[in-house]
This record gives sequence, C-alpha cells and structure tokens, in this order.
Amino acid sequence: MKALVGNINRYALHDGPGIRTTVFFKGCTLHCPWCHNPELISPEPEVAFYPERCITCGDCLAVCPQEAIRMQSEDRVDRKRCTGCGLCAESCPSGALARVGREYELEELIEILLRDRMFYKMSGGGVTLSGGEPTQQLLFISALLNRLRHEGIHTTLETNGLFFYEQFAAACLDYLDLIFFDLKFADSAQHQKVLGCCNRVIWENLSSLLTKRAQDVIVRIPMIPGYTATHENIDRIGRFLRQQKAQYYSLLPYNPYGLAKAAAVSMTPDQTLPEQAMDQSELLPWQEFFYGMALVTP
Amino acid sequence: MTTITLDDISLKNFTLENLPRLQELRTQYFARRPEICIERARYITQYLRYHDDAKDSPEVRQAKKVSHFLHHKSAQFHDRNLIAGSTTSKALGAPLFPEFFALTLWPELETVSNRAKNPQKLTAEEAKELNLEIFPFWMDKNVLEITRTRFGNPECLQLFENLVFFIASKAGCISHAVPAYTFMLEHGLSGLMELAAEKEKALASPTNKEQQNQADFFRAVQISLQGVMAHAEHLAEEAEQLARVANDPEDAAEFTEMAAICRRVPAGPATTFREALNAIWICQVGIHAENINMAMSPGRLDQILYPYYRSDIAAGRLDLARAIELVGCLWLKIADNVTMVPEASEEMFGGAGTVPAITLGGVDSEGEDAVNDLTYIMLRVTELLAIRDPNVNARYDYEKNSSAYCRRVSEVVLNTKSVPAFFNDKANIAALTGQGETLEHARDYAVIGCVELASSGRDYPASSSIMMNLAAPLEMALFGGKRPITGEEQIGPVTPAPSELKSFEDFWQIFKIQLDWLVKQAIQLNEYMGAVHQEIMPSPLLSSLFIGPMDKGKDLIQGGALYNSSGATHIAFADVVDSLNAIEQTVFIEKKYTFNDLLKHVRADFSGPEGEKVRLYLQNHPPKYGTEAPIARKNARNLVRHLFALYQSHTNYRGGPYRPSYWTMTNHAGLGGITGALPHGRKAGKVFSSGITPVSGAAPELTACLNAVAELGGELVPGGWALNIKYTPEADLKKMSEYFAQTIEAYFRAWGQQVQFNVMTYEMLLDAKKHPQKYPELMVRVSGYSAYFKDLNEMMKDELITRTQYGLTDGHAVPLPPLQ
Repeated sequence: MKALVGNINRYALHDGPGIRTTVFFKGCTLHCPWCHNPELISPEPEVAFYPERCITCGDCLAVCPQEAIRMQSEDRVDRKRCTGCGLCAESCPSGALARVGREYELEELIEILLRDRMFYKMSGGGVTLSGGEPTQQLLFISALLNRLRHEGIHTTLETNGLFFYEQFAAACLDYLDLIFFDLKFADSAQHQKVLGCCNRVIWENLSSLLTKRAQDVIVRIPMIPGYTATHENIDRIGRFLRQQKAQYYSLLPYNPYGLAKAAAVSMTPDQTLPEQAMDQSELLPWQEFFYGMALVTP
Repeated sequence: MTTITLDDISLKNFTLENLPRLQELRTQYFARRPEICIERARYITQYLRYHDDAKDSPEVRQAKKVSHFLHHKSAQFHDRNLIAGSTTSKALGAPLFPEFFALTLWPELETVSNRAKNPQKLTAEEAKELNLEIFPFWMDKNVLEITRTRFGNPECLQLFENLVFFIASKAGCISHAVPAYTFMLEHGLSGLMELAAEKEKALASPTNKEQQNQADFFRAVQISLQGVMAHAEHLAEEAEQLARVANDPEDAAEFTEMAAICRRVPAGPATTFREALNAIWICQVGIHAENINMAMSPGRLDQILYPYYRSDIAAGRLDLARAIELVGCLWLKIADNVTMVPEASEEMFGGAGTVPAITLGGVDSEGEDAVNDLTYIMLRVTELLAIRDPNVNARYDYEKNSSAYCRRVSEVVLNTKSVPAFFNDKANIAALTGQGETLEHARDYAVIGCVELASSGRDYPASSSIMMNLAAPLEMALFGGKRPITGEEQIGPVTPAPSELKSFEDFWQIFKIQLDWLVKQAIQLNEYMGAVHQEIMPSPLLSSLFIGPMDKGKDLIQGGALYNSSGATHIAFADVVDSLNAIEQTVFIEKKYTFNDLLKHVRADFSGPEGEKVRLYLQNHPPKYGTEAPIARKNARNLVRHLFALYQSHTNYRGGPYRPSYWTMTNHAGLGGITGALPHGRKAGKVFSSGITPVSGAAPELTACLNAVAELGGELVPGGWALNIKYTPEADLKKMSEYFAQTIEAYFRAWGQQVQFNVMTYEMLLDAKKHPQKYPELMVRVSGYSAYFKDLNEMMKDELITRTQYGLTDGHAVPLPPLQ
C-alpha cells in the first residue's frame, strides 16, 4: 500500500500536543488562495524550483526525458510537459530543483514515524496527519492510524472536512485521538466561489463528528484578511459551533509564507493577500464570537 | 537517597546584588589579565641544580623537587576571597612547567606580554631570570627531548612533530585526573602521612626490588604531603600578618579566621563546610605544584562536601547565603590559573581554560538519586558566576533523578547560554562497566576535563594521551599512503590507488590499513613517553589522594590506580564519516563519478565551475552523518566499532587498555585549517566539525541528528564524547526549557552520552566577532569546555558561528545567513 507524501516534518510543536511528527499528504480537494502548502494541492508529484540556489549548470536540461526544462524561463520548468519524475532534482548539484511528492510504502512511513518515539513519549506528543488533505488517501491513512494506535502513539488528523462521512468514520475514527477540523466560510456561495465547492458536506460532517466526539475535535478557523476574517462570517461560524455544541476552537493567524512557496511550483499567488503576517494579538477581538467554547492555542 | 530541603531549588532570591563579595570578585576576575608565574620553574630548577640526589628513586626525587617548591612557594592573598591559597603567585597566573613545553616561551620572552592575541604578562626581570637562569638548564631535559634521545628520534615522534597526524599529549601533560578527597577530609593529610609512614616502616627491610620501590613510594608520599602542609602553614602565617596590619577590623577578623583554618586543614580532619572547601582547595594547589594545570578535576563536590554542609546547617553554623558565597569563592579560586600558551600554539589551543571539571548530581554508588541541596547551591553559583572555569557538568539519570532537577539544569543552561553540560548516567555507567569497572565504582564516575569519564579517585585514565586526526588516514587511503600536505613523502603503508578498487568494502579496508598504522604509531609514541614520565614525572602527591596507590605501594604512573587506561580522542569524525558516505554513494552505488574524477576534484580543491558543481553535489546529495540514512548510520557505526576494537587491543605501560573518545578542544578548527579538500565537498582549510557533532548544515532535523548520534553511545565510547548543539534563544523561556529538557531526555533514552549547548544565534556570534568590545563576557561551549568568545582565534570563532543552529520551536536547522 502506498501514499503520495509531500513532506514529513519532525519535531512539530504546533500540530497537536507535545513533540510530533507531521506527515503532509499530497493532494487537496480545496483550493484556498492563502494555502500554506500550495505545493501540496496537486495530487501528482511535482518539481519545485528555487532560483536563488541555481548555478545554471544545465545538468537538469541534459537529464529531462520530457524536454520540460526551460533555461531561459524564470520558472525553469514547463509544467505542461513535466511529469514530476524528479530526474532533474536528482541530478541538480545545488538543490535548486527539488521533487515535491514521493510515494511511501506503509511500512516505510511507519518506520520513519517511529524514529522519534522517545520524543513523543517524553513530551506527550505523537503523529499528526496533515496535507494536502489526508482523507483523500483514506485506505492508506486508515491502515497507518491503525498501526500507530497499536504502537501506542497519539494520533491527530488535520482535515478540511471534505470527505464521505460514513467511510471516514468507519476507516479512521476509532484510531484518532484528536481532530483539527477547518472551517472557512459560512456562506455556501462564497465557499463555492473561492474554494471551488459548496460547504454543505463539510458542515454536515462537522456536525456528525461533534455529535460523536465533541471532546476530541478542535475547530480551526484561518483568519484571512479580505476572505474569512469578516464580522459576518465569523459571527455565523461562532453561532453554528455553539449550536453544534463544539467544545474547542482555534484561530489561525494569517501568514504569507505560502505565497513564496506557490511561486516555486509556478502557481500565481493571490495578489490581494497582504505581505504582512497577522500578529497573535490581532486575534483577541475575534474571540468574543466563540463564547462558551475553549480556545486552543498551538 | 537524599532529601531536598530547599523551598526553592532555583535559589532565585540569591543574586549577585545581595552577594556583594561574589559580585566584587567576579568583576575583578573579568578585569584581570593573565600573568606568567615563574615561581615553580625557579624552585624546581633550583632543587635540581643544587639539591638533587641521583640515587633517589624517581618518586622520591619528584617528591623532593615538588616539596622544595611548595616550601618556597609564596603565600598570597590577592583579593577578598574567603578561601586561602592560590595556584600561582599571580592573581590570574600561568605557571611554567619546564618538564613540558615551557621552553617554547623562550623565543617569545620579549613579546609574550604585548602580543595581539591573548597576551600573558611577564616582567622584564622574570624574563631575564628565565632566559639566563632557568631555561638553559632545561634544554635537553623535557619529556619530548628525553624521548627523542632515549629512543633515537623514532618515526612516531617525527609524525607527531608534524602535528597534522596526531598529537601526543604526554609531551605536554598527563594530569587529567579526579582525586578521591573523602579520606583526606576525614583524616587530614597528617592521617595520610601516618598511613604512609606505617607502610614504609613495615617495609623497613625490603627483601626485593619491589618492596624497595614500595618503601620509596611511601617515603615520597610523606615528603610531598609535608610540602603541602608547609605551604598551608605559610598561608596561615601570611594571613596572620595581614590580620595584624589590616585597618578594617572586619578584614582583620577574616584574615584571622583564614589563618586558623589553614592551621587546621588540610593537615587535620575538616570539621566544617568551610574547612572542607579550603582543605580541598589547598590540596588542589599542591597537586598543581606537581602536575601541570590541565584538567585536574575536583570531581563530585556536591557529594564529597555534603556531610559537612549538612552538619553545619543542622548546627546553625551556616546559612544558605554563606554556603553560596563560599562555593562561589571556591569556583573563583579554581578559575585563578590559565595555561601558558606560546603564540605558535594559539591556533590549536587558543582560548582554552584549564578545564578543571566539577560533576554534579546523578546517582550514588548504590544507584540511588544523589541530588542534594548542595547540588542546587552549586548550580546556582554556576548560573550566577557564568565563568569559564570550573567546567561544571550535570549528571542525569532519567529513572532516578527528578524531572525537577532536569528542568533546573536546563534552566541554568538557558540562562548562562552554555553551561553546564549534560551527562547521561545510564550510558556513561555502561561505558565504564564495559571497561571492567564494578557497577558501584562506575556509578561514582566524575567528568575529567572536557568530557572524559573516570570512577572518582579509582581511575587513572590519562584521558588526553592521543589526539588522532582521522582526516589523516582518510587522505592516506585516498593517496596511497601520502598526504597532500606532506607532499611526495611516503608516510603510511603503500596501498592500492582507489581507482583500482572494485567496491566500497575495498576502500574501507584500505582506510583501515592506514588508520591502524597511524594509531599504532601514536600508541608507540605514547608508550615511549609513558616510560619517560615514569622516570621524570611520577605523581606521589596525587597518588596519595587516590584509591589504589596506597594499597599497592605504587605511584599512579606505575599503574598504582585501581583502573588504568590511556585515552585517545578523535578529530574530524563527522567529516570522515561523510567522506566515506560520499565515496560509497557517488562512486560505488550511483557511479556518478569515477574515483579518479572525484580525486581530481579533491586535489584541485573543487576549483573551477565544474569543480564547484561537483562540490555542491557532494555536499547536497550523498547520505550524511546526523541523519538516519542507512549508509551514513552504517559507516558511523563501523568507524566507532573499529576504533573501539583497535584501541582495546593495545595495553599501555601501566597495564591498562586504550579508550577511544570523541572530543576535540579547538583542534578541529586548527587541524581543519591545514587539511586539504575532502570527498564530502569540504573545501581545503575549512574547519572540521567538533567532537562527535555532525558536520555543520549536514543534519537539518534536530531529532534525526540526536537519534543518529545517540545510537553510537555506551560501551563503544568509554572515553566520552562531546556533542555540540546550538539553539535559537526563545522569548518564552518557560516553554523553551520544557522542550529543552524533553529533548535531552529522549536523546538520553536513545543512549546519547553527553550533550552541551550554545543558546545563541548566528547573527549574535557574527556581531560578537565584529564587535568584541560589546561582548566582553560572552562565554561559549567549544568542545567539552567553555571559553570566552573574544579569546578564540578567528577560525574557531568561525566554527562556532557556522555550527548548525536549531530552533526549539520547530526542530529544524536555521539557514545560515550569508557570511561576510
């Protein structure tokens, strides 16, 4: 059994309790303009290009079987031709080209995740599945979570909430200790327009999850200027969560780090997004919309 | 098992502001410039020139020589320190040991006071005395020259003098020991004298040579102890004199009290905490008259002194503030000396202290929690003073010691940004029992100097005997027994050209041939020099404070200790492992380069665009030590295993094995500076990585780095290691110390032996290099010891700057900023 993984981040402190390893699965069903990991949106392997490292030796040109290298182009890679095979990255001396997305066998991934077991144990940490959208590779994460559970390792999922509930519940729920569930827009039309689908399934899924496991669900709202961070949107989300008896919520301050990463995989960054990161203190006024729920800060 | 009675183990209410004496002494300490003290050189020369009796045994001769010095050594009180005695006649002194390298000062007598880097003051009069009276006497009498004459300038000696293969430390010292002070404190030196006298009497009519030697040894012990007691008397006399002339009645009272203490100890048993502290200090002064000031380590002071502390507290004779003040006074006394460093050695050893190690915490001989109130007092003093010496180390047993203790040590590291170093009891005790030490003895280990391990007062490990440059055999394997730096000269065995090799295994065999040959040379020289030490530098005084010699009637240098060994440490471990990885991966697995291509670029120092391209590939692609890449793990493990087996198969002149270790002082910078390019993409002249630390930038993930190092720990590294980790300081200290402690514990549970920290950023260190005046007290961990950043040579500063910096909030290496 294999999964396409974009990155494995060890010693993660912000994806659940303690010291954790976070697995970033590749492929996402939403297309948030502010995405932190835009290189993980596509469900295919890709090649990222970091121009500041390039020594223009041309070794990539020589090895590319698709003739997808454009030495004159700022992007370097012709995305229409590139199959993400990664031969260019393997030959690149300076690391200017890097492959994003690699298939992992279940056993291989488990071996890596168990390496930091001592760190999990000492800190009350564990493993977090993130992405991309991990539930897109449901059978794999089901098997993975099951194994981690048997190893006695705390498990966390970060999800955009877009999945088939019954399947998800059957495949994963019993093996999960904690779920970060993201909500973006209360307004379905806006959800559709900005993210590419309506929010009905997501909100229903949250509702079902909260009915069963409210104590293990932290609802996360990314606070994005010009998008989610509006009075009306946050007010509606707050009301919905209270109605659904959500217990925990978390506010993610906007940061622009995804914008630079988007350029590396030739995606055009959203020009309306600010270059300045949001300060933690700017979140304070929003907390009043979530009275009755406990704030979780990473 | 001890009980903590302190309400607040951090003792945060005790600050330098409300401990004015410590504040004052610390300020004076930082204002002092080192001065060369010629007293020892003067009096031992005098003894040898006018009083020496060639018929005396080496031990008796040494005892008389040292005792003559101690009888004449001036008694000085340089400041308001409450502990009497000082290692030299200067407030911050560099003593001279003509038996070793003091003569290297000869050509620098005029310049040493004013040289740009770390000057050491020498008066014109004293320079003249050295020039005309002292140095001429020693021309052919130091360890190095005697070895040369005795053994006909052997090849191994020539290799050493080349300095780029290995360093034979016995030409400069053995020292590196932890005495056992308990008997001395309980019975006084007079108790020891009586014991030695009885034993000598029992051997009054020796029937064989051995008994004669034993009798001589016991006589030597008495002679040296008399010297120490005479010096204590002189201290008392001087203090009495100062009390008489003092204007301030408080000063007078202090001198009177010090005089009374010196009249009682170390001759008699210590009855109070203060007496015990001063008795230990005067013994340290005595030991330094006999043994050069390199890593003469006081050991587990929180254990040794605890009974005296307890009973004083119980009797109401002592309060916390006074205890902290007294311990602080001892710390500053221990810091009262530096080594004499000629300009030529600045590159190799510049900025080093004398590294007397103090060891705190851990478990006791029964394996129970040994942390006590005094442990916390000593931690607080270490935190408040933040000075280079003593080198304070915290033992930690993750099963027996409390997590409060671990967190408190972490807090001290974060506050001082560098000390103490952390030692893992489980792995280090296993390392020593692996050497045949009993569990009880291994549990009573203390740190010597940088990171070396020894059962307190039982182990004579000469832990700094050999410093092997592992890049040398690597180059010799690459170039058929020659090295670029020594040109066409055939140094090691002729081995096949790498281009003829069929597999990496073949190369590994060749590397081992060169390595084994070089190690054999280093060991041969150590044996020669050991024999010379037996003849001219026995240590009857130090021996009397050990467990073993007094039973065996044998000096430490003759194998009198309970456990005997010689230590060999290794420089460029990580660089060599990464080079092996690069060769295995790119030449034999990927076949990206032929061995000839690789060597061509290595020889050319990766010059030209093509060379730079190859260098970048080698730096970015092959597996690296400090990650969990299987090839890197295998090569690191194989090298550690091979070195262990290699050294253990040799027996030294005292009948013990050689023990490998991995710490590098500043030699990784110095030797890196003169070593050519290496196959892992390191350009010529770049510093090597320190201790057992992965190459800078090669280990991007903190947990992987700690795992990769930790798995090498335990029995295969009986000499200890230094792992350097640099962390970004965080604003949230409380959170940071939590992660800090958790990370250490996970590393220890994976069998990591030791770890030490610098909590500082690239930018801050760059700024400190540019504007040294802004950072007069900036203390950094080098490789097993602390130094003031401003004192380090430029290469060593660069090494510290470029060391991988990890963020404790994300566990990743922070990218190195562009360096100017």
